[in-house]
Amino acid sequence: MPQDVLQQTYDAIVVGSGATGGWAAKRLSEAGLKVALLEAGRAVTAREFTEHIPSYQLKYRNHSPEIVRTRPIQRQCYACMEYNYEWFVNDLENPYSTPPDRPFTWQRLRVLGGRSLVWGRHSYRLSDVDFKAASRDGYDVDWPFSYPDLAPYYDVVERYVGISGAAERNEMLPDGQYLPPMKMSCGEVRLRESIQKKFGRTLTMGRVAILTQPHNGRAPCHYCGPCERGCMTFSYFSSPFTTVKDAVKTGNCTLITDAIVSHVDMNTGSNKAQGVTFVQRTTKETKQIRGKVVVMCAQALESTRILLNSSTREYPKGLANSSGLLGHYLMDHVVGGGASATFDDMKALPTANPPHRPTGIYLVRFRNTPATGKHPHFIRGYGFQGDSMPVFNFNAPGIGKDYKQAVKTGAYSITLGAFGESLASFDNFCEIDPNLRDAWGIPALRISMAHGKNEAAMMRDAGVTAAEMLEATGAKNIRVTTGVEMPGMAIHEVGTARMGNDPKKSVLNTFCQSHDVSNLLVTDGSGFVSSACQNPTLTMMAITVRACDHLVERFRRNEI
Amino acid sequence: MRIFGHEAAHSSPRPSSSALFNRRDLIRTALFAGAASVFGPEFSLAQAVSSGLTAAAKGEDGSTLLTDPNWRAAFLNDHQNETLIVLSDVIIPGTDTPGAKEALVNRYLDLLLSVQPAEFQRKFVDALAYIDAESQKQFGKDFRGLGADDQIWLLTPWAFARQPSHWTARNDTRNEAADLGQQHFELLKALIATAYYESEIGQKELGWDGEFTHGPYEGCEHPTAAHT
Ligand SMILES: Cc1cc2nc3c(=O)[nH]c(=O)nc-3n(C[C@H](O)[C@H](O)[C@H](O)COP(=O)(O)OP(=O)(O)OC[C@H]3O[C@@H](n4cnc5c(N)ncnc54)[C@H](O)[C@@H]3O)c2cc1C
Ligand code: SF4
Repeated sequence: MPQDVLQQTYDAIVVGSGATGGWAAKRLSEAGLKVALLEAGRAVTAREFTEHIPSYQLKYRNHSPEIVRTRPIQRQCYACMEYNYEWFVNDLENPYSTPPDRPFTWQRLRVLGGRSLVWGRHSYRLSDVDFKAASRDGYDVDWPFSYPDLAPYYDVVERYVGISGAAERNEMLPDGQYLPPMKMSCGEVRLRESIQKKFGRTLTMGRVAILTQPHNGRAPCHYCGPCERGCMTFSYFSSPFTTVKDAVKTGNCTLITDAIVSHVDMNTGSNKAQGVTFVQRTTKETKQIRGKVVVMCAQALESTRILLNSSTREYPKGLANSSGLLGHYLMDHVVGGGASATFDDMKALPTANPPHRPTGIYLVRFRNTPATGKHPHFIRGYGFQGDSMPVFNFNAPGIGKDYKQAVKTGAYSITLGAFGESLASFDNFCEIDPNLRDAWGIPALRISMAHGKNEAAMMRDAGVTAAEMLEATGAKNIRVTTGVEMPGMAIHEVGTARMGNDPKKSVLNTFCQSHDVSNLLVTDGSGFVSSACQNPTLTMMAITVRACDHLVERFRRNEI
Repeated sequence: MRIFGHEAAHSSPRPSSSALFNRRDLIRTALFAGAASVFGPEFSLAQAVSSGLTAAAKGEDGSTLLTDPNWRAAFLNDHQNETLIVLSDVIIPGTDTPGAKEALVNRYLDLLLSVQPAEFQRKFVDALAYIDAESQKQFGKDFRGLGADDQIWLLTPWAFARQPSHWTARNDTRNEAADLGQQHFELLKALIATAYYESEIGQKELGWDGEFTHGPYEGCEHPTAAHT
């Protein structure tokens, strides 16, 4: 890195280049601000994508012992594979701890683009039923803004990213700016029509950040299937090849990879952040970089870890933590409830040939809605993801020729898995573990979270309603799950630096700006007040754009 | 992986995407059960910083190992290897399409076993030995020495779900060996099926023509309410 990169004072330092950091860098640099984008991992190139490599060309065909050795946590993520495990953190180098009875699985990438490289791409808006949930059911607090405040930013993000999906006019899931949706299978259409008629529920094609037509210079999806290994046509949204690329193209954004930020540097006299300190990943040298504003986008737990590691005499419990709430109200969606079955009367043969549609269906939340009223056993709600199509029957009984044939005959399967709201609770939190450091000497987190009774009741209900809907649609061999997976399993962790209007009861204001330190922002999922049940990343990106536009305004008004 | 799809369980390539019939998940669970799931401070003794690309990302073809003319087993002894070849070919024989033997299922499993924990290796070896022991009991010969009909006769009862007696509704208590045999057999069958269907031959068997795209997914083209 040329020395002068570290000599200047940037307008803004953005920490993290994933889904949110890419947007912050793009938005700020396009507005003319001088930005330094710091990323802990290395750069990625399209040359290392592996989506067109068949698994038999892998030495262990995706059962590599190296993943077991170096990624004992990451391998719990379905997307961490022999193809791409180097994108995921090495757990030996990046430890965290949990109380023995409160396991938490923290699945993350440290590479340019972060988790946007492997995410499932489902992109849903939250509604005012979510932003004002507390006003409806009395649990906890509302968000500091409402749907109309965020809607224009959802528009901006959707238009740029390219979300394929269908409008449904369902108040629980506001419609957005969509490219044509992907298509439903016969089994999915059957379920959609049947539950609309019998239950008044909405099933829609997954709204996903995957292109179905050319968009902003990127090609539409060619349906090869395994997006989590990269996409050489850039048909799904990942930040390195979109937002980060745009940011760098402005000439205003300096991208610094292999820069692991350890803490924010404060000018104690002025109570302002003046930059950050980072450890160079490969040489382990410590360096500093200065900025007029620091924008944290390292993902919820990492951003909070950095702030907790930035204590000063004025902020002994962690930077910007006068409220004492930093680290608290950690959430992740609850998963585990659902059902699967077969449509024995549908005859279609499975095939390993493309097209492989890289997404599934979405069944919109129907519990505790203004239309359906209060549920007796739990508050809030869940949505289902799933799919229905002919699949091979590898579990067929028998041996020999008949077994071979039975595998190919397969069955027409249908699966629904719930993602439920995880209630915000002070008792779910992260803090610094005084006895644990990562490979770069940076103090590591202790994460303490458990799903509660409400989540358990919700997953039980999800098993029941999924089975009911499948049965009502004529499915057979219904199998139900009603359990609660360990937190982290949904990979939708949010919270730990909640937004709010009251500095005593929140860490950030409505524009993701620290109440305590006015030139410090956290725009990733840390600020979420509630988790809702929709996949969170679209909302994180919209919040980031809103916060950045507000920040640019403050620059224009010379408030910085 | 879980039973129910996380968003991108739907993005895995067929055939491994469905939970219900997902053999690979079964194997994954079997192989990796017991590895640490939550870790304590001992893991912080981090070693050299890794940076790299996976072999796949570097474009290395790992499959050539199996077709090496000088291939030698890394884990199995000769008898076990021969038994596995014979067994895999009874379970997935060559028909109008090639079977497990041609797909070199034994070689892939040998490689996989060579890097498994001792506990899992033992399970596999025990399962093979059990089949030989039963074969000895019934026919006085090792499994690989049996005629094709006797091999099928020995394996078939283990290859189907068991049910309680028609007469007394009791489980088949006099024949606990049948259940044990079934457990051993199911492990071997699952591994053999995975190794076969994940091979190039197996992927062709499942209809893959080697292409990565055939245009967009067209979905249901029936008129409204055709399915309800
Ligand atoms: C397999 C999988 C499937 C998912 N599916 C969906 C889905 O369908 N829909 C959805 O909405 N969400 C999904 N998610 C979640 C989604 O990926 C995240 O919500 C989103 O990426 C978060 O964005 P972010 O910018 O906060 O963090 P990330 O995208 O994770 O990026 C954080 C970046 O910060 C960097 N960083 C971390 N620490 C430091 C540091 N100390 N210094 C410098 N840089 C640092 C990281 O290297 C990384 O590049 C999925 C996640 C996974 C893993
Ligand atoms: S399925 Fe579509 S988006 Fe996914 S990798 Fe293939 S072409 Fe890209």
